[in-house]
Amino acid sequence: CIPALGKGVLRAPVSSEEEGWLLPVSVMPQSLHLEASLRFTLPGSGTEGPAKQENFILGSCSTDQVKGVLTLQGDALSQADVNLKMPRNNQLLHLAFREDKQWKLEQIQDARNHVSQAIYLLANRDENYQFKTGAEVLKLMDAVMLQLTRARNRLTTPATLIAASGLTRMFAPSLPSDLLVNVYINLNKLCLTVYQLHALQPNSTKNFRPAGGSVLHNPGAMFEWGAQRLEVSHVHKVECVVPWLNDALVYFTVSLQLCQQLKDKISVFSSYWSYRPF
Amino acid sequence: MKTSLQAVALWGKNAPPHSISAIMITDDQQTIVTGSQEGQLCLWSLSPELKISAKELLFGHSTSVTCLARARDFSKQPYVVSAAENGEMCVWNVTNGQCVEKATLPYTHTAICYYHCSFRMTGEGWLLCCGEYQDILIIDAKTLAVINTFTSSQSPDWINCMCIVHSMRIQEDSLLVVSVTGELKVWDLSSSINSIQEKQVVYEKESKFLDSLNCQTIRFCTYTERLLLVVFSKCWKVYDYCDFSLLWTEVSRNGQFFAGGEVLAAHRILIWTEDGHSYIYQLLNRWAQMGAAYKTFSGLSKSIYPADGRVLKETIYPHLLCSTSVEENKSLPFVMGYMNERKEPFYKVLFSGEVSGRITLWHIPDVPISKFDGSPREIPITTTWTLQDNFDKHQTVSQSIIDHFSGLEDEAGTVVVTSSEYVPSLDKLICGCEDGTIFITQALNAAKAGLLEGGSLLKDSPSHKVLKGHHQSVTSLLYPHGLSSKLDQSWMVSGDQGSCVILWNIFTEDILHKFFLEAGPVTSLLMSPENFRLRDDQIICCVCSDHSVSLLHLEGRKCLLRARKHLFPVRMIKWHPVENFLIVGCADDSVYIWEIETGTLERHETGERARIILNCCDDLQLLKPEPALSVASETHKHKSIEQRSSSSHQLGPIPCPGLQVESSCKVADAKSFPTPFNVLPVKTKWSNVGFHILLFDLENLVKLLLPTPLSAADSSNSFYGSEILRRAKSTVEKKTLTIKRNKTASGSLSAEAQAKPLNDGLIQGNNAIKFIEENDDIKRQKKTKSSKKKHTKASRKVDANLTIDTAKLFLSCLLPWGVDKELDNLCINHLNILKLQGPVSLGLASNEDHFSLMLPGWDLCNTEMKKEYSRVNLFSRKVLDLSNKYTATLPNHVGTPRRLENNCDSFEESNAIVYLLSRLFLVNKLVNMPSELACDFDRFFKTESMHNKVKSPGNDILRISSFYGYLRNDKNESHTPDADLPLLKLISCWRDQSVQVTEAIQAVLLAEVQQHMKSLRKTPIDSQPVSTAENGNCEMMQIPKKKEWTEELELQCIRNTSAPQTPVSPVKHDSNSNSANFQDAEDMPDRCVLEESESPGDPRHHSWMAKVCSCKVC
Repeated sequence: CIPALGKGVLRAPVSSEEEGWLLPVSVMPQSLHLEASLRFTLPGSGTEGPAKQENFILGSCSTDQVKGVLTLQGDALSQADVNLKMPRNNQLLHLAFREDKQWKLEQIQDARNHVSQAIYLLANRDENYQFKTGAEVLKLMDAVMLQLTRARNRLTTPATLIAASGLTRMFAPSLPSDLLVNVYINLNKLCLTVYQLHALQPNSTKNFRPAGGSVLHNPGAMFEWGAQRLEVSHVHKVECVVPWLNDALVYFTVSLQLCQQLKDKISVFSSYWSYRPF
Repeated sequence: MKTSLQAVALWGKNAPPHSISAIMITDDQQTIVTGSQEGQLCLWSLSPELKISAKELLFGHSTSVTCLARARDFSKQPYVVSAAENGEMCVWNVTNGQCVEKATLPYTHTAICYYHCSFRMTGEGWLLCCGEYQDILIIDAKTLAVINTFTSSQSPDWINCMCIVHSMRIQEDSLLVVSVTGELKVWDLSSSINSIQEKQVVYEKESKFLDSLNCQTIRFCTYTERLLLVVFSKCWKVYDYCDFSLLWTEVSRNGQFFAGGEVLAAHRILIWTEDGHSYIYQLLNRWAQMGAAYKTFSGLSKSIYPADGRVLKETIYPHLLCSTSVEENKSLPFVMGYMNERKEPFYKVLFSGEVSGRITLWHIPDVPISKFDGSPREIPITTTWTLQDNFDKHQTVSQSIIDHFSGLEDEAGTVVVTSSEYVPSLDKLICGCEDGTIFITQALNAAKAGLLEGGSLLKDSPSHKVLKGHHQSVTSLLYPHGLSSKLDQSWMVSGDQGSCVILWNIFTEDILHKFFLEAGPVTSLLMSPENFRLRDDQIICCVCSDHSVSLLHLEGRKCLLRARKHLFPVRMIKWHPVENFLIVGCADDSVYIWEIETGTLERHETGERARIILNCCDDLQLLKPEPALSVASETHKHKSIEQRSSSSHQLGPIPCPGLQVESSCKVADAKSFPTPFNVLPVKTKWSNVGFHILLFDLENLVKLLLPTPLSAADSSNSFYGSEILRRAKSTVEKKTLTIKRNKTASGSLSAEAQAKPLNDGLIQGNNAIKFIEENDDIKRQKKTKSSKKKHTKASRKVDANLTIDTAKLFLSCLLPWGVDKELDNLCINHLNILKLQGPVSLGLASNEDHFSLMLPGWDLCNTEMKKEYSRVNLFSRKVLDLSNKYTATLPNHVGTPRRLENNCDSFEESNAIVYLLSRLFLVNKLVNMPSELACDFDRFFKTESMHNKVKSPGNDILRISSFYGYLRNDKNESHTPDADLPLLKLISCWRDQSVQVTEAIQAVLLAEVQQHMKSLRKTPIDSQPVSTAENGNCEMMQIPKKKEWTEELELQCIRNTSAPQTPVSPVKHDSNSNSANFQDAEDMPDRCVLEESESPGDPRHHSWMAKVCSCKVC
């Protein structure tokens, strides 16, 4: 189902038609690997069956307050087991996902979709298609690069707490009211943040300064959650490296560079025929 | 662009690139709307004969347009919504190109559907959007605010396509969508309106996995209310809507990718591909054909298509009837659409837009049939058109600003301008050309030569300089003095394709220094901000296309730094004044920090840290605000796209014209002495072909002309002023004499008058050039003495002549020439303005960064205007009606005519121009007035009418006068606001009737000029000495006299046409009779209105007339 990019060659006759000059440039055979490396097997795409489940043990060197095992299935978080040691009474709290629920990690989903768009842009023409002008290739490269950049930015820009608001509904038994959980991707890491909060009185004398949409709220930060005003008292952050995310990021960088090199080549050649606007 | 800015586009011979990325036809089948990868929208008029002609280009988006959709019930409001790659959304009025609403959301939409349910919904309806985000966004069609979402409970993902199913049978509207993973989902629409508005979560009603990827289109067959067509990129499928069971799958052959489809009729569908082909299929019922074989095959088909154990009611297969194709020389991808109109006189149209900018239409027959032998029939192309076709067809209109240089070039090719820069302080336009030459010319003269008749005589004038030094195409220009007044006024820096940067002295035309950078074409030249100095000098920064950045020290004539490590194009340059760092931001979000003194790379950061560094620099700048900074920052905004801090330059492949216009206008604002005229070079993405926009700042023009009465111009220190005065006086006197003679002789006025203006134009033009040159010299001397004191009053006086010239050019561009030949001649003679060569491409600014520009040939788009070729530059038919209305209210005040009855001298001429401009400004202000103020205004009118027009110049008047306060100064005191009230009322009435600004301005200008000229024509006959005293009796006497006179003139004209012995050529006969008719119309607007409405115009015209008449102001 993945459009074959096996040729990996984009024929771009640059500039003047009369010279019929062809510039065969290999365009990102890497993008083929992207799909595999990102485990972006689109669900139900037939032969491969459902995505494989992978367990990640999240920890932190600085604290052992929180330990968690998250299970990724493609772009979805299918299971979560989080053990939280409450700092006040050293009570152990166990949090787990409901059996019937999956949490889509929107970052991975978006990145996957951007990549498939990029691949579709490259693949949706006939094998024998001949590019007529350099500008045509430049436009195509711009469109592909835009998708790849967005894909990369989705992985490098962690999801905010607000974006993960639905996550609280995933747990069984449901989360205590003074806890909030955020799961997100930061570069090549799968991160889990547990916030311990206390509610601010609506008429409290304390000056309410909302922290805005920042990714990680530090202790003392205040924000609004639904109708409530909350203040962060403790933050526990644990993370785990996801190897294929690392690969994906490398491939994004490489493909972007390849695209840029192709663009550079085209502009170099078109500046040789400088009297003809490309 | 500010709304008080009036723009005129000088397009040149080449059309700007328009790579179509979205296309639609409006419901009235009169307009095609296309969106482009460059970010512009184009409106094309579609004639009843299916002929296409481009009308106007809409600027507003800075990135590729992703989708277009209807934004209202089209019969009520002709609004279309457009969405761009970066989340910008705009609602446009496609009849006039105005941006009605805009918003930028953090979502990229790929498809929009308009939904309105009149009996359950308040407001203007919803825009249902899908794109690069989960599920469906519901956006308010009026405010463009997100109302709510349709949420998926099962596997939420991006949505590829959607359609609204309106079924008569079940009386419920549903929304059908297909996600990127191929999941079909259904939401109830009409029954969930309330819960959506109450911000509740609405989940899908059904969902089904369709087992294919890359869904392109989903369509419901409204004829059978049964079939569902789903087009994927590699196959298309037909489903039964009742249970979503699959009925047929057709896989694409020979590598084609399907791009969309539509249901033509019951069991007839149209599928199109990415490469511009389309196929019409008849869906045949297998069982009906098989008849007896029913039983044998029913089991088989069941096994092929198991439908949840239920028996399929029908099984279908497609039969290819017809196909369409495009020529082989195509550019991918195509965007196509189909318009199914069942009502006469509309057509069934298949349309496609290409990346090359070509639009192709096919008229699909009502009943498509295959050939006799059963093979598919090819449907021929009905029409095809590109933007360039418009430019080729109307070449006289598409002048470029430097066309008059072409005489200097060899005959083979005309010069192509590859870069240009306007220097407002010198009124010089610097143009770098493809062959390496650089022209420096007076912008105003160049514009005149390009636009005006008789302007061709300016061509030979030695008003321009040619700098030769580059051997390759000049890619960028910089005038350092324009950015920082401390730098030498004679310096200009240019960079070329071959990486050579030259420092010029533009006054002596010498090369001061050549820098060879060896780094590929110079893509942009920037200057360090004022607060950044190296050894007390500012430095120039060159960005080259090999992504390197070089710093040049002009005073030292040396290259300070070559930063060559960047892998991606440079997007942003920041200066760190304290630590002497150059911070370079690249397209891949990485940051390079260079130490300027040593030339070493200090740091390289990517990702989050890079972002922090760039933001940090912002803070640094903000921490120490310097008073001098603000001006500098304004000027720097010229080049920057995201205007954040003074020391940041953002560049790269997104020079979005909209923002550039905006920013450069801010530049004009920021300067302490306002420039009423500006030339803005505009370039589009992926192309080095640009065009120029002339910007007239009406507000500044009026400001400049009004507070310094022109009598100051003939003070002794500006000798040329008195010169022009004397000359003008003499010519005008001569003219009045000739007119007098004509009048007394036989009234063959037009013949003589037409002969005159050419001479006048010549003299005037030559003088103007001479004066401007002198003007420059003076300025230069002054500035070399004390360059800082350039904004003194003296320089303003020097500019007065230029300002008048600007005003004249502006009036030339706006006047509807050819409406009345006689009037044209009078204008040429008395106002000393030149006639246009052809219709100009006017611009319309909707707000700060949204505006539209007419394209060459716009005047022929309106079908009703086609017959009247003699009318040059008439914006629309409406203008005449509006103008008549205006004239009808005008006789109430006689301030102008009386003032103009003074002896004709050059004061008169300039006074008249000033008066006209201030009028136009007032109209512009009124029509563009923000709604709150407008309410105030209307309330005032109500109270005023309650008073029953008793003159009560109390608080109410004060309120108005505060509104256009500075227009009412000593200059215009002769007519008090209450004399203008009916006019104000009329104009604010126009605003409610959605009369366009351009229309209103042109109408008022026409009426005022007519009025003015009437009075001028009157003077020669009127032997009575004219009193300037404000005497009521005098007013009373003059009005009837005027009427008498016009009647007399009418008679004269009629006599003129009937008398063959008069020495006038037959052509002029026509024009005379024509003018007579208009004279007639002018005096009897009501009759004119009747005639107009009886003429077989389009229905819109009628409805508008009805509106006007019901308002009872007229």
